[in-house]
Amino acid sequence: MNVIPTLEGGLVIQLETEADWMVLETIWTDIGRPAHLAESLADLMDEESDWEEWVVPDLEEHFNHQSQFIQAAVEHARDNNKKAVFIKRQDGEKWYGAINQARLALEARYGFKGAEDFENAPAELRSAHFRDRFYLQLQSLLLEYVIDR
Amino acid sequence: MGLLMPNPIQQNKNQIEVQKDLPWSVLVLDDPVNLMDYVTMVLKRVFGYDEQRANALMMEVHTRGRSVVWTGAREKAEFYVQQLHSWQLKSTMEKAS
Repeated sequence: MNVIPTLEGGLVIQLETEADWMVLETIWTDIGRPAHLAESLADLMDEESDWEEWVVPDLEEHFNHQSQFIQAAVEHARDNNKKAVFIKRQDGEKWYGAINQARLALEARYGFKGAEDFENAPAELRSAHFRDRFYLQLQSLLLEYVIDR
Repeated sequence: MGLLMPNPIQQNKNQIEVQKDLPWSVLVLDDPVNLMDYVTMVLKRVFGYDEQRANALMMEVHTRGRSVVWTGAREKAEFYVQQLHSWQLKSTMEKAS
């Protein structure tokens, strides 16, 4: 897999193997239920704020939209036998947001912070750590080349 | 002497009024996922801060675990926290001390 900036200010993810597609497809499986993130953010607010009632539904919809958007983009490319997935400049934030959801979900599930020895970790944790690092690289490229800061 | 003592009911009312008027602080909390440049970008977008101020606040979040990024009226604080949540930053609000 190669990830390259495009002249139009986006990124292209060139996919060479079945494993490359699988890595991309794990983004939305790692996200799982976007409502979980909305609810965990609401936990930071006091109960009097009625955050669950007034804010969580909108956040959930927003996070769902990000996740569904990138799933549709990857599936469309795959269904049409493309060898690449293009991230347009105007879609950079949706991609970043979805990937961030995946990383937050992985961190909540596995708690990477403090764990150092991934070489000898169980396969599931090693795999999750690998995905997290891949997502991080993609986010760094999005921030550097795509998203207007 | 009695005339100089404040009416207890009136005093209570005044305390409530003062409490209502207390400003609220918006806090951003540290987390191990969000990238430093991203946090700076979000603070610029949400609050309109310049690069230097946004970066200083981000560094405070990073080094101290939290930072008061804005203080003001409750409704506006709620709006800002909602915005920060939509950018997936851990944030909350509390009465300013």
